[in-house]
Amino acid sequence: MQFDWMKIPYAFLTLFIVVNYGLLVTALIAKIAARVGRRHGIPIYQNYFDLIKNYGLRSSITHGVMFYLGPVFRLSGGVGLLLFVPSIYGSYMFSNLSFSGDLILALYFFFFGTLGMALGAAESGHPHAAIGITRGLSQVTAAELPFGLAVFSVALQYQTLSITDIVAAQQGSILAWTLFTNPFAVTAAMLSFLGSMMRPPFDVVLAPQEIPIGPPTEYHSSYLALMQTNRVIFPIAKIVIYMNLFFGGAADWPTFFLKVFLIYMWSVFVGVVFPRFRVEQSIRWFLVWAVPVGVLSIILL
Amino acid sequence: MVNALYIIVAALTAAFLLGMLKEERRATAYAITLATLAFMTWISVSWVWAFAQEGAAPVEIFTAGAVPPFAINLRMALPEAALTLMVNLSGLLAAIYMKDSLFRLGRSAMAVFLVAVMAYCGIIMTRDIFNLFVFFELVAISTAGLVLLSEDERALSAGFKYLIVSQVISIFLLLGIVFAYHATGTLNIDGMANASLGLLAGGTISFFMMFIALVAELKPFPANGWALDIYESAHPSYSALFSAAAGTASLYAVDKLLLIGGAEWLPMATGIGIVTFIASSLLALPQTNDRRQLGYSSIAQMGLVLVVLGQRDILGDSTPYIAFGLLVSHAVAKAGLYWISGLVAGRELTDWAALRGHPLLIFAFVSFIGMLSGLPPFPSFYAKWELVRFLAGEGRIALLALILFGALVEAGYLFRWFGYIMKRAAPAEPISCTPHQVTAVVAAVAAGWALGYLWGDLSGRSNLLLVLPLLFALSFLLLDWLPAWVKNTLAIAGMLAFFAFTFAEYDPLRLIFAVIILVGGAIILLASYDAHGRRVGFYPAAMLMYAGLAMLIRATASFDFFAAWEILTVGSYFLILRGKQSEPHALSYIIFSLGGAFLILTGFALAAQGAPQFDIASLSHLTAPLAPWVFILLAVGFMTKTAAIGLHIWLPGAHGEAETDVSPMVSGILLKAGLYGLFVLLMTMGKQQLYGVELTHVMLWIAALSALLGNLMAIFEEDAKRLLAYSSIGQMGYALFGLALMNHLGWLMALMFVINHYIYKSMLFLAAGGVAKRTGTRDMYKMGGLITLMPFSFIAVLIGIIAVSGVPPLSGFGGRWIFYNAILSTDYRLPLIITFFAGPIAFLYLFRLIHTIFLGQLKDEHRKIKEAPFWIVLPQMIYVALLMVVAIFPGIVLRRVDTYLNQFFPEGGLNWEGLEISSNYGYWNPVAIMIVVCVIFGTLFAWLLFVNRKAQKVKQFNIGFSAERPYRPETTHFAWNFFAPYRKALGFLVQPFVTRFWGALTDFLHTGADLSRRLYNGNGQTYAFHFIAFVIIVFFVRMGV
Amino acid sequence: MAYIAMATGFILILIGLFGALTNRNILRMIVAFTVADTGVNMVIVAIGYMHGRTAPILDVAVSAAEAAARIIDPVPQALVLTAIVIGVGVTALMLAYTYKLYEKKRTLDIAQFTELKW
Repeated sequence: MQFDWMKIPYAFLTLFIVVNYGLLVTALIAKIAARVGRRHGIPIYQNYFDLIKNYGLRSSITHGVMFYLGPVFRLSGGVGLLLFVPSIYGSYMFSNLSFSGDLILALYFFFFGTLGMALGAAESGHPHAAIGITRGLSQVTAAELPFGLAVFSVALQYQTLSITDIVAAQQGSILAWTLFTNPFAVTAAMLSFLGSMMRPPFDVVLAPQEIPIGPPTEYHSSYLALMQTNRVIFPIAKIVIYMNLFFGGAADWPTFFLKVFLIYMWSVFVGVVFPRFRVEQSIRWFLVWAVPVGVLSIILL
Repeated sequence: MVNALYIIVAALTAAFLLGMLKEERRATAYAITLATLAFMTWISVSWVWAFAQEGAAPVEIFTAGAVPPFAINLRMALPEAALTLMVNLSGLLAAIYMKDSLFRLGRSAMAVFLVAVMAYCGIIMTRDIFNLFVFFELVAISTAGLVLLSEDERALSAGFKYLIVSQVISIFLLLGIVFAYHATGTLNIDGMANASLGLLAGGTISFFMMFIALVAELKPFPANGWALDIYESAHPSYSALFSAAAGTASLYAVDKLLLIGGAEWLPMATGIGIVTFIASSLLALPQTNDRRQLGYSSIAQMGLVLVVLGQRDILGDSTPYIAFGLLVSHAVAKAGLYWISGLVAGRELTDWAALRGHPLLIFAFVSFIGMLSGLPPFPSFYAKWELVRFLAGEGRIALLALILFGALVEAGYLFRWFGYIMKRAAPAEPISCTPHQVTAVVAAVAAGWALGYLWGDLSGRSNLLLVLPLLFALSFLLLDWLPAWVKNTLAIAGMLAFFAFTFAEYDPLRLIFAVIILVGGAIILLASYDAHGRRVGFYPAAMLMYAGLAMLIRATASFDFFAAWEILTVGSYFLILRGKQSEPHALSYIIFSLGGAFLILTGFALAAQGAPQFDIASLSHLTAPLAPWVFILLAVGFMTKTAAIGLHIWLPGAHGEAETDVSPMVSGILLKAGLYGLFVLLMTMGKQQLYGVELTHVMLWIAALSALLGNLMAIFEEDAKRLLAYSSIGQMGYALFGLALMNHLGWLMALMFVINHYIYKSMLFLAAGGVAKRTGTRDMYKMGGLITLMPFSFIAVLIGIIAVSGVPPLSGFGGRWIFYNAILSTDYRLPLIITFFAGPIAFLYLFRLIHTIFLGQLKDEHRKIKEAPFWIVLPQMIYVALLMVVAIFPGIVLRRVDTYLNQFFPEGGLNWEGLEISSNYGYWNPVAIMIVVCVIFGTLFAWLLFVNRKAQKVKQFNIGFSAERPYRPETTHFAWNFFAPYRKALGFLVQPFVTRFWGALTDFLHTGADLSRRLYNGNGQTYAFHFIAFVIIVFFVRMGV
Repeated sequence: MAYIAMATGFILILIGLFGALTNRNILRMIVAFTVADTGVNMVIVAIGYMHGRTAPILDVAVSAAEAAARIIDPVPQALVLTAIVIGVGVTALMLAYTYKLYEKKRTLDIAQFTELKW
């Protein structure tokens, strides 16, 4: 795969579609979750209003360079992750910037935003930010492990690290999806998925009560707006990887929207039912329940 | 040529002459003594010269105008000449050293001294067994006299105990002699040997009695309490003579006796020797008295040489080379150490801290313990190599293991002692020395180095003292008076010049190591410009390490490789020891390293199968069943240097406590020596199986566990440099993992780790060191908020942690990408799971490192600190640039190696098309990644600047915190026990099991030795009992066998 | 005759050793050692003895020509002389030591001189 200049506007197009879809779908999900709790919930356009308001706010302070750059790192991570992965299978237009690297690039770029964000939040000097980060990092190490194992299992299964090739291998029938050809890997990955979606039972990192919203504590106005933008892009970007690896990818946008929504809903289903874990509990949970499944998927291959 | 009999004649004449002098004319008496000793020495020298250089034939000296067996005869040949030279020279130096004591005691003491030296020479030269007895009795009497030279009143009882035991010994000796005479009809040793004493009636028992009596003079365990008491209480210069000359003479007597006994007594000699060696080495462990410890060491060395004599059946013609190599090293070192002990006022080992501040004496001490531990370039090193080669070649592995164990224990307490000298509080009393005392010590040092040269010359291998890098390193000993910056410039220039001259000789793999060692070492040395003053001792040590490393990668023969390995080990030990608190850590480092080195030594020796020359490349010709064992020995040896889990406990302290510019050297560069060794091992030997177990598979597990546990231990560490040190364990685990994968990409990944780890770990250690220098602490929770005060250090750490964690777009990602591609083509999947877990854990400690130091709340006491010194920041910035270059163009280093690796693994290499790098599985375009990330980041940054251009910097405590405004940084900076939840969840994994294991082992040895040494209860009668018990045990062992 | 001498010599050696190892008084130990020394000397002489021969002195009774057949082995006797001389020297030295030791501690108990140990 090679670079050509047309990819840049196309990449912007993908970004535009995903941002709007993300704004809507996160609001929808918030509303669904509220309804489960017998609350009314936010209107579907609420995210647009929030974003515009926050970008418009002019009262802003900074705690230093890293603090200022934190949200930039965060959003670059989200955008980069989205663009390093082809969104639509078989489409040149929406293959994005995937010529830069394969699955491993995406896997490691996960951490770009996290790391930058953590650094920025930490410079604020707010202990809650630091506590939130330690919790988040602690949890993510255990939560990512089953996913890593699943990815490895899938790469072994298809003997490639190229996302496009992995999707290509799952075409034909629904039974060709990794979900059916390698169910253990998918199970492990989907359990891991719960850990990274900031929903119960694994949301102590951003827990609203104990720690006023964790790492972003000190962020406000346009910083917050950047992070909110990321909050709508990042889950989608991540789900795209799950979709491509395990659920046959998407050959067109409607399939894309549907699959992403359904995968997203998995975490919501679990989230509205279960109470919250403490960090050490969730570490143990992932190691005890999810990791063995991942190990199994590798051994049985 | 002067007749050798004049050695004896001169001493006796002078002794009588002294008796006729007036008591007051002490100066004359002393002059006569010295002149006589000098004359005796000269005779020996002339004979040594005649035999060694002119090839003279051995000379028999007949007395009383008759030939044996009717008269006594003596012999002068090369061994006798060399041994009498040792005796006479140490006698001369001892007399010079104890001038004051001899003056105090007068002519009679001098006469007795002369008689003692004469008697030692007599023991060496005589070929008559009864004459031997006479000389031994003369030694006994003169020893009892000379012990009284000591100012220590306790020497009196020591001398008496000696007399008691010597009485018992002489009874045995006499009975043995007379029965042997009865059986053979001659008293001549050669005559007895020809008569095959053992075959005659009563021959065995009579030989047994003679043998046991002479062996008893070597102070075998347990019949040696008397000797220890003498060592402890006698005048140090006499102890020097007692150790160097008496031991030498007795050994030669036993050697002569073994001629009579023949081959069947050799195992007995070996057995007694090895028991003595091990027992004395162990019993020395809990010693605190310096002279007694030296006594134990002397006894142990005697035992070792006895083992060599007992192994004559396999050593053959090499016996003298080996035995003399050990013996002269021992004699010179022990004499020197006893002489130094006379300069130290206190008798505790820790009192030797008084030597600090006397570079010459420190150098002497180091030379001496190097000789005793068998380190290059001293004779004992060559001897050790040869001994091990023969033992391994003949399959005497148990004996070999025991010898190396004893040697390790001995090295352990010697280096512990050196640690005391360098690190313990100096005692109130400074050392007192007179010029003649120093003369003796200096002469011993010079002799030691000269002998090192001689042995190298005789070795038939490369003479280490002619190897350029080592000479360069040693030359810094002479330049130590120069200011540090001059030496630093010289060092950098030397390393770069050496690289420039040898540049073309390396293959791509070695080239990478060469660049890291020589050029990389030079970059780290830039930080050393920060040091002021003369920095005595730093450059010889550092250059020794670099010399060893440079020699290591250039070595092709196993001997050169091993020598280089020991040199770099010793050099790095001295470097590490320079840290303020690093005494215990340097000790555990040297013990683990020497242990590992011994394994390597054994591995090479086994592989050589007795062949005198063995190229490392020939490792590939080895076959089972030998090959897997060689593999294990070498692999474990190398893994001690890479601090694989289980062998890692030395690393955190050693790297953490080292000086600011030393930490990057020992972490960034030295660890690579182990990896280089493993590279070489795997390149030559490849996969090996033992009992059906794939050994590289085992390595994979070790590597994976190292990666996981190293990282886990790092996240719970409060000390910044220790955190980095633990992280090295994890990183080395990754590199080892890549190697053990045994495929093309695995090795490429290992190499990528070699490069990356050098860059970012050096950078991070320098940054952490710089911060520690400014804040005065290494505890991270005491810091915080330093980002604005130390921006360059912050940038270095930031870039460093991004690179370490493998996040794109920096160079760490390349390593990870190759890692994933490498593991896709391996069959071993389970260990991978552990490394998968280890990866993200790195984020935890890295974040902790940057957050607790640079982010969060600035402490009041740090408000005025400045950026780290220029010279410490400069290399960091070079590393930042390097990281960027490696990140964008990994091809400039990797591509050639990739091609080079094709000869080992033709399959699975990378494709380098344009800017894209692809494997069989995936692809990666570093330039594109860098551009994409930068563009996205830049765009968003511009956007934020646009919408948020009026952001105001607020003050430190301007945060909303539980509805209050905090004001104390200590309570607001969240840093201590940072990952508490992690400890709750997984803390059980990092319980210090390994530390406890090694601790329990050393405690066991110590406590065991402490209990056992109560055997020597100080009662002369008990000592006589010990001797009788020894006789009975040996008798039954001998008859039982 | 020779066997009796030799047996006596060995018995003396054993008595001497036993005495030296069981008596804690230094003087008694020295005496015991001299007893053992005497035993050793007796053994040596006994070994050199040959039945029916005469003393190794060349005089009227034994001419140089027939000496080899008529005299006993002279070497052990020479050895004994040397051994006796050395024994005297050592004993004297030990006695001198004893004197010094007694001066220092006012005791002759060997068990009291154990300040050097371990």
